[in-house]
Amino acid sequence: MTFSKPIASLALFLFLNACGRDQGGSSTTAPAPSAPAAVPLGQIAGASGSIAALSTPNPYQDNPQAIEQGKQLFGRMNCAGCHAYGGGGNMGPDLTDTYWRYGGLPIQIYNSIFEGRPQGMPSWGKALPPDDIWKLVAYVQSLGGAVPVGEWDHARQGDRPGEYSAPEASGPQNTGPQK
Amino acid sequence: MALTLATSWCQSLRSSPPDAAVSGAPANSVTGASFNFAPDDPPGEWHSQARDYANTRYSSLHLIDTGNAARLRIAWTFSDGTQGGHEAAPLIVGSTMYVVTPFPNILFALDLSKPGEPIKWTFKPNPSPAAKGKACCDTVNRGVAYVDGRLIYNLLDDHTVAVDAKTGKQLWRTKMGNLERGETMTMAPFVVGRKVLVGNSGGEMGTWGWIAALDIETGKEIWRAYSTGSDEQVRIGPDFKPFYDHMKGKDLGIKSWPEGMWKHGAGSVWAWISYDPKLNLIYHGTSNPSPRVPDQRPGDNLWTSTIFARDADTGMARWAYQTTPHDRWDYDGVNENILLDLPIKGHVRQALVHFDRNAYAYTIDRTSGEVLLAAPFAYQNWSSGIDLKTGMPMVVKEKEPHPDVKLSNVCPPDLGGKDWQPAAASPRTGLVYAAIFNLCMDVTDNKVGFIPSTPYDGMNIHRHAAPGGNLGEFMAWNPATATKVWSIKETYMTMSGVLATAGDLVFYGTADGWFRAVDARSGKILWSQKLGSGIIGQPVTYLGPDGHQYIAVEAGIGGAATIHADLIAHAGEDFPAGGNTLYVFSLGGDSQ
Repeated sequence: MTFSKPIASLALFLFLNACGRDQGGSSTTAPAPSAPAAVPLGQIAGASGSIAALSTPNPYQDNPQAIEQGKQLFGRMNCAGCHAYGGGGNMGPDLTDTYWRYGGLPIQIYNSIFEGRPQGMPSWGKALPPDDIWKLVAYVQSLGGAVPVGEWDHARQGDRPGEYSAPEASGPQNTGPQK
Repeated sequence: MALTLATSWCQSLRSSPPDAAVSGAPANSVTGASFNFAPDDPPGEWHSQARDYANTRYSSLHLIDTGNAARLRIAWTFSDGTQGGHEAAPLIVGSTMYVVTPFPNILFALDLSKPGEPIKWTFKPNPSPAAKGKACCDTVNRGVAYVDGRLIYNLLDDHTVAVDAKTGKQLWRTKMGNLERGETMTMAPFVVGRKVLVGNSGGEMGTWGWIAALDIETGKEIWRAYSTGSDEQVRIGPDFKPFYDHMKGKDLGIKSWPEGMWKHGAGSVWAWISYDPKLNLIYHGTSNPSPRVPDQRPGDNLWTSTIFARDADTGMARWAYQTTPHDRWDYDGVNENILLDLPIKGHVRQALVHFDRNAYAYTIDRTSGEVLLAAPFAYQNWSSGIDLKTGMPMVVKEKEPHPDVKLSNVCPPDLGGKDWQPAAASPRTGLVYAAIFNLCMDVTDNKVGFIPSTPYDGMNIHRHAAPGGNLGEFMAWNPATATKVWSIKETYMTMSGVLATAGDLVFYGTADGWFRAVDARSGKILWSQKLGSGIIGQPVTYLGPDGHQYIAVEAGIGGAATIHADLIAHAGEDFPAGGNTLYVFSLGGDSQ
């Protein structure tokens, strides 16, 4: 199998790098690797209202030490090779703007790193522990384009803070004039 | 009556072009260069990206000339609906035009004999979307090769396909590489006899570069030569005779690297191939070494950033010349090699002209690999010259990048003094014409680890204009003296191919969408047309079934001209968005 070889060498690489990493990081409430599967990638057909998993916060959000460690990982895992140093995008998408193909909530960014994406984004769920993925998410959040947890529904709708919303536009059912 | 006249005129043009078989140079040639136009395709058609084996991109058509070029108008257009940089030349075979798109690499056949040039057939190969994220510099494709009723081209996901030119049905499909190794394929196949030559892309991905020959009938691989590794893997044997000493020795593709690093040292073969039928040699370059951080790979890093001459039948190397040993800046070596016979200092030399990304123009003896002339054609400050005794560049120490040190104003940047966009040559003037860059960079190297299928890169780059402030330039070059004859400065990058014609015209496009016709002798712009997007395609010319001469080019900015946010930022608000339109021009805009 040609597939097992790169994984094995990657595991070794990660093992060798693990020593220098994560000194003083606090223990986290990171979900187990299976948890991201509960986050839907698309809208839920036939349902409305809250999808609780989407509001999962990043345990490392705004943690300067974790953000710095995330930035180091961003370089060391070759993320910068595609997304550019600073995250401005190159071969891979811009991570600093507000356009998110697969969602810009912390758990959605976690998911994209964990699962990989079809247009070339590798899946890091086997190579990196949840702790490291959350630190990468913290770094991406620090770049300014990510969606705040409380805005998960608005982000799905393309709403922006401060915009006017017509009364008829709320909710999945258009109930007509509400006067 | 008019139709009969047009038809007979057309046939006379097809059968007896004015100088398609030029062997000696015309009296008013600047250099006296002579050309071999094999395989002598019909003068009104265009069967391969470079049109001929020598890679001249010269057409003997002359109905459009310096006297009437100002009357060029759009005759018809074709939109292919895809995104991404459009770098390919359309092909014209008989009364059909073939257009290939960037990913998803759709191939269209257009009927030139009918009003509106309708689609005859469409071939959709559906390559894997994973390939999009492995391509360093946009999801481009550099075109198709036609041979004997077949259209052969590469898919971004590492497959080479052959399609029946009449029906649009797939004849064969061969898997040549692996996305898990970061490989993609973007170059245009090159046909020699019954073989088609292809190579991989991925100089930034820690790939192992190669060129391979396939049987055009079956798609089966006949030989493959790697750009690093043992002599056997590189196809170096007893006939290999490099001109310069530092390329002599056993297994230098292993020994000029730190232990094992040649295995993902790149040297991909992602651009052009030329062929000399008399010497039976092919010529091609290899890409930069991986990773792009030179301090991680002490040594010459052979055979990256190198020009190879190989036996066309066996692929065995005959000579090599490394343009940038231990390439520290991603100067690569893949740019086209144009084959000309040039009088130099009283002797006619069988020469090869090569504009390297390192900003030097080389005139090389194509029988031996001896560098006859080397001079900068674009602004550069990384070296103080090429030592013709050793073949080595003299490197300026202050411009060598090292990890975690920010270097300012290194020129040219990784994109080079000229990138893949091919030059053209005219036997009437004896000059070579190229679209070049005027760029520098600030660069900081970051050490990187090798993780398969991710970038093995490490260069943090900010690019900007070199002195003068213009990003682009179009020039005429004298390859017999290595001097610039004239040039046109362009505000934006010039990353299009060039077309030269017997009407003494040369055509090129700019990244902001201007398509221009220029007097090949004086450098005067005779006609310009703004197109719907920036131009990084390769212009071609053909004779329609109606007897009119047409000029065709794709407009669709992308590729290295836009992939980097810093250059777009520099370009400003009026820089065009992407596009996907083929524009076809004729005198007065006449068509069917």
